[in-house]
Amino acid sequence: MKKALSVLAAVAIGIGLPSGVLASDYSIGVSNTVQGNGWREQMICAIKAQALSSGKVSDLNIAHRNTDAAGQLEDIRNLIQAGVDAIIINPSNPDGLNAAIQEATDAGIVVVAVDQAVSAPTAYVLSNNQEEYAYLGAKWLFEQLGGSGDVVYMRGAAGASADSDRDAGFHRAHDEHPDVNIIHEVFTGWQQDQGKQQMLDFLATGIPLDGVWTSGIDNVIVDAFLESDSPLVPIVGADNAGFVGMLSSVDGLVGAAVTNPGSVGGAGIALALNILGGDAPGDRTVLVDPALWENQTEEGKATLAAAENPNLDPEWPVSVSIPGWTDYSMEQIIACKGPGE
Amino acid sequence: MGFFRRESWNLGLVAILALLFVLTKVVQPNYGASGIVGLAQAALPFAFAAAAQAIVVIVGGIDLSIASMMAVTSVAAAVMMEGASEGQAFWIALFILALGTAMGALNGILIVLTRVPDIVVTLAMLYVWEGVALMILKAPGGGASDWLMGLPIGSIPLPGVPESVSSFLPKALLLLVVCIAVVWVPLKRSKLGLQIYAIGSSEQAAYRTGVPVKRSKVAAYAIAGLFAAMGGLVLTASTGIGAPIPGPYLLASVAAVVLGGVVLGGGRGGLLGPIIAVFILRLVRTILTFLAVDPNVTTIVEGTIMVAVVMVGGVLALRGRRRSAA
Repeated sequence: MKKALSVLAAVAIGIGLPSGVLASDYSIGVSNTVQGNGWREQMICAIKAQALSSGKVSDLNIAHRNTDAAGQLEDIRNLIQAGVDAIIINPSNPDGLNAAIQEATDAGIVVVAVDQAVSAPTAYVLSNNQEEYAYLGAKWLFEQLGGSGDVVYMRGAAGASADSDRDAGFHRAHDEHPDVNIIHEVFTGWQQDQGKQQMLDFLATGIPLDGVWTSGIDNVIVDAFLESDSPLVPIVGADNAGFVGMLSSVDGLVGAAVTNPGSVGGAGIALALNILGGDAPGDRTVLVDPALWENQTEEGKATLAAAENPNLDPEWPVSVSIPGWTDYSMEQIIACKGPGE
Repeated sequence: MGFFRRESWNLGLVAILALLFVLTKVVQPNYGASGIVGLAQAALPFAFAAAAQAIVVIVGGIDLSIASMMAVTSVAAAVMMEGASEGQAFWIALFILALGTAMGALNGILIVLTRVPDIVVTLAMLYVWEGVALMILKAPGGGASDWLMGLPIGSIPLPGVPESVSSFLPKALLLLVVCIAVVWVPLKRSKLGLQIYAIGSSEQAAYRTGVPVKRSKVAAYAIAGLFAAMGGLVLTASTGIGAPIPGPYLLASVAAVVLGGVVLGGGRGGLLGPIIAVFILRLVRTILTFLAVDPNVTTIVEGTIMVAVVMVGGVLALRGRRRSAA
């Protein structure tokens, strides 16, 4: 124990003591509660890359683990104690973090929620427009089916605000195409293995289906069709590298990818630095609008081909940057190194 | 002298905690009153989970359903408190404590009636309670009354004590001490308390000396359920909502029990050790956050510290026992 402590103390002296704070030498904290998911890992790498390329961040303090809302409260409070200037959070829950967010803003810390919204009025929210995300994809799918047919609806994690927002968008499109029948609705929990098993189970029942809308768990859904020798149906997913590749390469696959950049984390850093520099946006909520890339028109095929990137992890979104917000290079985000690393 | 020998493990833990506070201050010179308040708030649900696990381990069992029971009581409280008046919320909180006790008792009854090992029964109940929590609330939601949410927030204003001192006394710590003491102090001095330790030491010997083994075991599981319900209530209090998916409290409770000097297998240890251990583990997390250690490395460090403390402590305890035997 003594040894462990002395090692810790040595580390403390080595890197823990903050260097003199310069005018644009900010310290930024990050709190994220899902670890080991491709999208979230890209988000963390985008945060590191943007902090590095901005040149204004002296150190990043990343609390990145699998935990619940109470654990995220603990992480946010620790980051407040660490004396950071801003905290970027991907909230586990829209309402459960309000106490700690209030304490942070009371201490003069800028709080930016990325990816999903929080209800705390003092926080800024920079999120992909999840309602529009689901609407775009579902509308395209229902139109592909000619306005009628049986669709499997694969959602994300129950209770996450991104999932509720997407559900609203999905139903907006459904209301416009009332003859489409939702024959099966499941929560994948945004877990690849779980989503694939759910699709294999459904295909094993032999119930006919005409299309699949899936909330970002996509390449494994195509795998499930291929492995069980089931005839392919139109599939709408996200712009994950694996799925984007399949849209061009799998024979007979009709589908579309809707962009949902994990690089929104990098945009969160950019927004926090703007606010710290005195340039706060008028509206506390900033939405990034998605785009749809389908493989049925020449134009769509060209977009998909251009977006393909074999260097990326198949579970990383291919939209590695957000124009107007992030300014790091492809190499920087793949390297995944922050300031001082 | 007897006190020091008896409490050597706890005193060792206090020394480690004190060292960690010094280290925290070195790493982050601004660490002070609000940091300690935050630490106590973070420790609350873990401390109740550890207390629940400790009493079951002392009686010779183990309860894998603690985190799921916390989820059930947390969502039940959040659903019932949404829209309820402050006065009604008080009765709801009492009902939740009774509910937790009943759930724990059910765990215990199943164990003594079926004679299936504790680990198997409570593993099954882990899934049962998890399903119950999801039936009560499909997604995080509900509400909490204002007084409940205020309970663990801030520090205790003591009359006649300057604020610079009283601000170091977190309300969350007072809440923890009161809730645990109200149950544990009378229990430990009672016949039931003795019986629980006796069963944990040797179930057969306890039975032969006339201890009502089944009844005492069920009582121990019921008290664990009561502590789990307190844990569920503080989760609702700190977040203002209920979440049906259990948090990381099961494995953390086992870790705190082991680090806290409760012997797995039963009969030895108390609640103080595991609770100090919870504060040690939370403070380690705080220090690692201050140091901005790579998040993938932090869990390795946490695990290593735990193994090191238990190993060194075990060696010291063994040496002490040999010396006193000689």
